[in-house]
Amino acid sequence: MIDLKNIKKSFGEKEVLNGLSFSIVAGEIYGLLGPNGAGKTTAINILCNLLDADSGDVMLNNQKISESTKYAMGIVPQEISVYKDLTCIENLQFFAELFGIPADARGKRIDELIRIFSLEEYAHTEVKKLSGGWQRRINIAVALVHSPSVLILDEPTAGLDVEARHELWRLIKSLQSQGIAIMLTTHQLDEAERLCSRIGIIYQGRITAEGALDELRTNIPAKQLAVIETGDETTLCQKAAAFGWEHRYYAGRLTFFLPRESTLKEIINKFDGIPIRSMSLQPVGLEHVYLDITRDRQITP
Amino acid sequence: MKKHFNEIKTIAHRVLLEQFRLRRSIIFWIVFPTLMLLIFGLIYAGGGRTSSSFDTTAPGILIGAALFFSCMGGPVSLVVAERERRTLRRLLLSPLSPSSYFLGIFLAYLVIAIGQAIIVYGIAFLFGGRFHGSLLLGILVVSLSVFSFVGMGFFFGAKLSKRTEDVNGPIAAFGVPLLVLGGTFFSTAILPPFLLKITYLNPIFHMNQALARVSALGEGVIEIRTHLIFLFAFTLVSLLLGIHSYRLMLAMEKKG
Repeated sequence: MIDLKNIKKSFGEKEVLNGLSFSIVAGEIYGLLGPNGAGKTTAINILCNLLDADSGDVMLNNQKISESTKYAMGIVPQEISVYKDLTCIENLQFFAELFGIPADARGKRIDELIRIFSLEEYAHTEVKKLSGGWQRRINIAVALVHSPSVLILDEPTAGLDVEARHELWRLIKSLQSQGIAIMLTTHQLDEAERLCSRIGIIYQGRITAEGALDELRTNIPAKQLAVIETGDETTLCQKAAAFGWEHRYYAGRLTFFLPRESTLKEIINKFDGIPIRSMSLQPVGLEHVYLDITRDRQITP
Repeated sequence: MKKHFNEIKTIAHRVLLEQFRLRRSIIFWIVFPTLMLLIFGLIYAGGGRTSSSFDTTAPGILIGAALFFSCMGGPVSLVVAERERRTLRRLLLSPLSPSSYFLGIFLAYLVIAIGQAIIVYGIAFLFGGRFHGSLLLGILVVSLSVFSFVGMGFFFGAKLSKRTEDVNGPIAAFGVPLLVLGGTFFSTAILPPFLLKITYLNPIFHMNQALARVSALGEGVIEIRTHLIFLFAFTLVSLLLGIHSYRLMLAMEKKG
């Protein structure tokens, strides 16, 4: 469906994208994760044909993107970028008319979107009078008014409460089931874990890890993680090294990579004689993979 | 062609919907010229008959107090708001052409301008003022004026007003002097020669002169041809300025 091939982009001396490549197929949700400044926004702008790449290709259905591919793309900016003094219906009508949808098809499509996004009650309400969650819905609905085959969501649930996030996740999943190729960026790793079929982690302008969540987990050489709080980290690390256990600091917490699943009792026994304040066992999650790749970690203090 | 026409209509419809929903601007755009017309009409009447004073005051008030603020100030606010609320990005991602966007906004403000003209001349009529010339020629002058104001508003909005707080700055700094030198509130006959030379390059002067001569003196195309030629030329400049300004905004938006 959509392919980015070896995209390079610099702003002056600053190289922002350095051979970025990934592809998204129909009916897939691809999560593009990365720290601020990693190149996500530049990638989106190139993908949307807002910005030209210095080199590389962006292909949509095996054709280079151009002005005409605007009709195949729906983009949902992070901010609520609809006309807040207009009602939901008026916003949908406005953008449908801009995309040249004929009047009869327009009405049908708007009704469909109102139904999909459960906006019936608020269809004739000015957007500024809606809560953040409902505003997010209309923000997404507007991007779908011309029935694009690719949808790009830039942090779609930023600033929403838990309930509204869950509702939007359900909606995004339902769009996936309609065969739309969806790319989303998010800083909320639980969101990526729940929604994405595949995840690409962008760091320093290129994808440094990519795959389904289970594939990404293999980047961490561990079956389980032990997070331990102790007054004697040096001795603990030395002893762990003797077992062949690597360690990391995730968010300042000393974490050991366990080569097989263990119980708390087994770990305590292994560290017999070292004062341990607390200990927990965790599965390897996207957060650990992400932090490991983006090097937000410290090795032995 | 049909695509452009639909886009223009869509943009104009949206701008009008927003303006009428907000109401506040519309009310001010009615109240201000009404008060100015009453004040200047009564001042120039000097306690005597108001018919001739309202004849001569109405065109200047329509151009300077009504269209200036609605059709130039309005687009400045609109362009800045479009950028601030990030709807410009949405437009950028749509197939909308820059010329359709500009012409759509022009059309919306032309509708507002016609409403203002009806109110201004309606009040003047109540005080005995009349529109003495060709109504069609008057509409042409008003349309060219709206076009020029929208073009300038676009330019100020795209180039000089980065945020909502900056909206009034360029209007006050550049617009109001043009308004005063354009003979809106008093005759340009009192200007010293060097200022008079400058004012011949001022589009507001030509708008005021053209409309006043058609409206108050009943003159025709031949008599006001110099002003019309200037206004046509300035309209073309405004169109190019407007499209250039839109492209400039898009380029800024692309940079993020």
